[in-house]
Amino acid sequence: MIDTPRPRGLFKTGHAFVAPAVLLMILILMVPVVVAAILSFSNYSLGSPDFDWVGVKNYSKLFARSTYKKMLTASFVYIGVVVPLSVFLGLGAALLINSLGRFGNIYKTIYFLPVMATLLVMAIVWEFILHPDVGVVNRLLALGCGTFAETILSFGWLPWVDPATTFYGHGCAQDFPHWLGSKHTALGTIIFIGVWQGFGFNMVLYLAGLTSVPRELVHASVIDGADSAWDRFWLVTWQMLGPTTVFVVVITTIRSFQVFDTVEALTDGGPVKTTYVMMYAIYEKGILQNLIGIGSAITIVFLLFVLAVTLVQRWFVERRVHYT
Amino acid sequence: MIGYNTPFSTAAKHAVLIIGALIVILPFYIMATYSLKDPIEITSGTGGVFGKQEAFLDPGCVQSGNAKEDCLFNPIAYNYGQAFSKAPLLRYLFNGVVVTLSIFFIQVLVALPCAYALSKLRFWGRELVFTMVLLGLLIPVHAIALPLYIMLSKVGLTNTYAALVIPWTISVFGIFLMRQFFMTVPDDLIDAARMDGMSEFAIVWKVMLPTAIPALLAFGIFSIVAHWNDYFWPRVVITGTRELFTPPLGIREFASGIDGSDYGPMMATACVIVVPLIVAFLLAQRRFIQGITLTGMK
Repeated sequence: MIDTPRPRGLFKTGHAFVAPAVLLMILILMVPVVVAAILSFSNYSLGSPDFDWVGVKNYSKLFARSTYKKMLTASFVYIGVVVPLSVFLGLGAALLINSLGRFGNIYKTIYFLPVMATLLVMAIVWEFILHPDVGVVNRLLALGCGTFAETILSFGWLPWVDPATTFYGHGCAQDFPHWLGSKHTALGTIIFIGVWQGFGFNMVLYLAGLTSVPRELVHASVIDGADSAWDRFWLVTWQMLGPTTVFVVVITTIRSFQVFDTVEALTDGGPVKTTYVMMYAIYEKGILQNLIGIGSAITIVFLLFVLAVTLVQRWFVERRVHYT
Repeated sequence: MIGYNTPFSTAAKHAVLIIGALIVILPFYIMATYSLKDPIEITSGTGGVFGKQEAFLDPGCVQSGNAKEDCLFNPIAYNYGQAFSKAPLLRYLFNGVVVTLSIFFIQVLVALPCAYALSKLRFWGRELVFTMVLLGLLIPVHAIALPLYIMLSKVGLTNTYAALVIPWTISVFGIFLMRQFFMTVPDDLIDAARMDGMSEFAIVWKVMLPTAIPALLAFGIFSIVAHWNDYFWPRVVITGTRELFTPPLGIREFASGIDGSDYGPMMATACVIVVPLIVAFLLAQRRFIQGITLTGMK
């Protein structure tokens, strides 16, 4: 900071420099939030001149109608599974790679590829891989049918299991899942792609975090009797990674809230709304069906969720004891 | 780490990481290999990695009345040829480049002076502006797509380049990042520039900008990757006019109109869209990882 008094002209320079940014922040970030808040109390639609104020009807619909209950379920199941899985896999990959030294770098490069690649494009490739007839996955699974692999994987060798009822036995006898077409597997498949895409990002953040774990602390823990690798991890590394973990969890949660590409391209929210996540709902209701009121209400609820996540993060960060 | 790696534990670690790597790479492998194969090899799963590369007969071509000899194609030539001829892929790529570069250019143009003012100038309301920046960080632009879309359509801007660019012109994250960076630039440098009679405007672009190149490069990668890959926003504001499609919109249209024989060309399109970024990433890994995880350094 420059503390020496400046000529008056400089004060104006400051204003001129921030003016474009301030104007754009107001127009592009603040005004839309206000617009969404206002319109969420109306039944406005683009192109029709008149509309009514409907009070909190849009919001009560959101928590009463089964469509929106399914939306919240889909969103929260997606977040509830993607976040822990991709954080855990990111941490696991980082620890393994870190312990391998130089040789680990090739894995780092590979695991980071999905983060870079255009998600929509990769989603379409996954759709093809999981295609019930020509996809690689089901074709691979079918290869084992009729061989000893079927006997093993269908658990027919366990006396109390009927092989026809197990996943693999059933798959061989009839067919393997239509991954994206079945209500039982669609959300799981979307979740899988989400984890596939995102865990490399977390891995990189954890790798950065690991470089800040002081060696001396690890050595000290050994002297203090932390003999197993698990003890050392739990007593030192995991504690030191605390701030990284808070950050990784928050950023993954906010990203997961925004899942859209895979759903739009692969399932359109179906089957029977099992993958009807919030961003897709905003798009379908607000943009495709021109139901701006309800779309705005979902937008506001969405923003409140994101805000809540950030507040929880702040609380964690402030509560935390810093070791360094 | 205290890694007492025994040969066994090292092998086990590699085994786990290799299994993971195979799953991660699978779609990239499929995408690349299918873009080289003919339709029969794709649907029957034969042909190894590169396909047999034998000329194949395109039934669609025969049906439209061409002689059989004219309808024999080499798979690679066919797939990549179709990718560029069935849809205006070059146009999509061009749009993608124009949009991502315009966004980055304007973001810098807006953010740099603001960041400089926030870090090095004193003026009334500075704290307020900085608070706005911090508040702005809480709002994901995708989340407010609906009101933005309404506002843009009210001023008649949907289905234009402007619509693709405008919401991203302000990067509060960019401002925040550059401000943090500028805080570390010594005041003496700026004072010296003032002594030399430089205007504040010139200081931003001739003194601050050069010091900020590393940070700017990281931010540029972050911004360009994000907007090259963005599908949601173009989907919202571009309806109909193919002329303005960005690459993700283009391949989406391709995929929805697909029948069995188009898998090859579609995978070729996928490669064309994804490969430039992947190659750039492999060439400058460190910078890319730095750029994309920038959000991790807040």
